[in-house]
Amino acid sequence: MKKRHVTLNLFILIVLTDIGESIAQLFMKTGLNHIGISSVTFSNLQEFAIKSATSYFIWLGILVYIVNFFIWITILSKIDLSVAFPVGSTSYIFVPILAMIFLHESIGPMRWVGIILIVAGIHFVSKSTHIEEGGKAK
Amino acid sequence: MTKLLVLILIAELWGNAGQIFYKKTVNKIGSPNLRSLHSYTRFVKKVVAAPMIWFGLGFITISLVIWLVALALADLSLVFPIDSMQYIITLITAHIFLNEKINKMKLIGTLLIVGGIIFVAMS
Repeated sequence: MKKRHVTLNLFILIVLTDIGESIAQLFMKTGLNHIGISSVTFSNLQEFAIKSATSYFIWLGILVYIVNFFIWITILSKIDLSVAFPVGSTSYIFVPILAMIFLHESIGPMRWVGIILIVAGIHFVSKSTHIEEGGKAK
Repeated sequence: MTKLLVLILIAELWGNAGQIFYKKTVNKIGSPNLRSLHSYTRFVKKVVAAPMIWFGLGFITISLVIWLVALALADLSLVFPIDSMQYIITLITAHIFLNEKINKMKLIGTLLIVGGIIFVAMS
């Protein structure tokens, strides 16, 4: 099995899937708000399905999910799952920071500690592939 | 609380199985040359035609449904710390089913991420 490193391009792709995931969820949530059905039961399941299927936002959400799927599959074809998956935790970093910049939410000390730990973790996981290659022969 | 924990764990295992199926598929197919549109279209065609991809998609869909149930049952401040377990699960299952190596750096990095998520979720 080939061992490839987390290159900058791959890292950008991974971040892109994280952003895509958030955007898709945002579309889905907006779509569901527009539909205006607060809870789904067996009695209104049909109405819910029809209204969902006619919502542009729901379809946009699905479209972003499909694009995301292919980006993720492409990433997996290049690097190990146990590397790609943890590196994909960047949303835990970007969401609070974007919320701070655009929504003026404050980030407490605990959260900063968490963010720093995640950044360090991503760094270590990304570098772990170098050890394998430099170290023992496979 | 225990029920919720079990529920999230089940969701994670389904999701993880899906990822393993994805990875097994692309390991077999190989990776596309991203500078060549032809190479990438061929890759996409092979992916869509692979039964294992659809298995994976099914597993991940089931995982999402269980997730939605878990989210309805509990507040998010509890769900995310428990959910960070998926990184450890992935490390172990990728080693068992995909022969991916676990070295010290990968282990430390993964644990740092799990710890970091717990901090972010608790704050």
